[in-house]
Amino acid sequence: MSGTKVLRSLLHELRQASPNGCIKDSLAARYVLAQYKKFATTEQQVCKARNEATFLGQTYLTYLASQRQYLELYKEFHGRGERSVRDTADLVGFKLPTDPK
Amino acid sequence: MSGKLLMNALRALRVSHSSQWQVPAATIRIPVRHYASPPKRFYKKTSVLTGDGGYEVVLDHRKLKTPKGAPFVVRSEPLAIAVATEFDAQKEHIERSRMHLSALCFTAIDNPNHLSKLDMVNYLLNYIATDTVLYQYDDEKALHELQINEWDPVIEWFNQRFEINLQKTMSITPPKVSDEDKMKVAKHFQSYSLETLHGFIFAVDTLKSIVLACAVIEQMLTVEKAVALARLEEEYQMKFWGRVEWAHDLSQQELQARLAAAVLFVHFNCSENCVKHKSIL
Repeated sequence: MSGTKVLRSLLHELRQASPNGCIKDSLAARYVLAQYKKFATTEQQVCKARNEATFLGQTYLTYLASQRQYLELYKEFHGRGERSVRDTADLVGFKLPTDPK
Repeated sequence: MSGKLLMNALRALRVSHSSQWQVPAATIRIPVRHYASPPKRFYKKTSVLTGDGGYEVVLDHRKLKTPKGAPFVVRSEPLAIAVATEFDAQKEHIERSRMHLSALCFTAIDNPNHLSKLDMVNYLLNYIATDTVLYQYDDEKALHELQINEWDPVIEWFNQRFEINLQKTMSITPPKVSDEDKMKVAKHFQSYSLETLHGFIFAVDTLKSIVLACAVIEQMLTVEKAVALARLEEEYQMKFWGRVEWAHDLSQQELQARLAAAVLFVHFNCSENCVKHKSIL
């Protein structure tokens, strides 16, 4: 993944992780942007630290994305106790006696 | 059977309340499991403070503390920011079991098992003989081919990196690791600080492989690739038996999150040398 793509995805994940969906005053977003500015290479210069920075950015992206996806799966499949009669009927496509025909 | 249990329970109650003996039938309840509910999110904003000892995380105006009560202080700024972001990402409750990065920092600060550097290096060394990628299986041709294509380059890289000679095994007998090789690997791990080794152990425990853990920490593999290699046989079998979202995907995402946390932790803890690199440039 290229640096720009990682940056865009990182900001996207940070936005999703923040409680109000806004990263205007998010510390992490500010830090990531500052790092990108710091390690920006000019012209064709080879910069070793940039590879490392991209790797770290990618790793943090994986961290945020995996946690979000884990939570989504957990919410969908975690047991919530016994199903009600209506839920079971919906599951197998039956109607309750009280439902209109 | 249940009648006997009930009688025993009643007898126990009678002994404890012998003076005022009365048990109304309604008080005997069906056992219900009571889980401790996670603490509510009691803060609105998180931020990072710079002190003389390092960086601290602040929840509103309260300073974050570790489970043992020690103040939370880390030397790396991005680590503190990541922990603050993680606390900020909690919705209504603080789900501590899912905050791997914070948990890792807490473990490193508190060191609840009182591990010394030597204990940790020994733990890592003992892992070599049971490393996932060293146990291959040649009864099933397709799987073995996959293992040769995917695992062997990583083993080769590991051997070159540490100038040792690890051999894979095809049976249940563990591969022989010479003392000389162990010394070389031990020397490498001894050079890290105590906190960083916590990160290494977390990564090795996640992947069940020291070879893969070193490869991903030294940026030879990405996190996703390393997790895929650690679950190589599972992925292979899934082709025949199907993929179950709530088991396979869930474990994959969890392993990725754990490994990414460990890699970030290790890198942030020894980031001083990269800062020096930059100033030279």
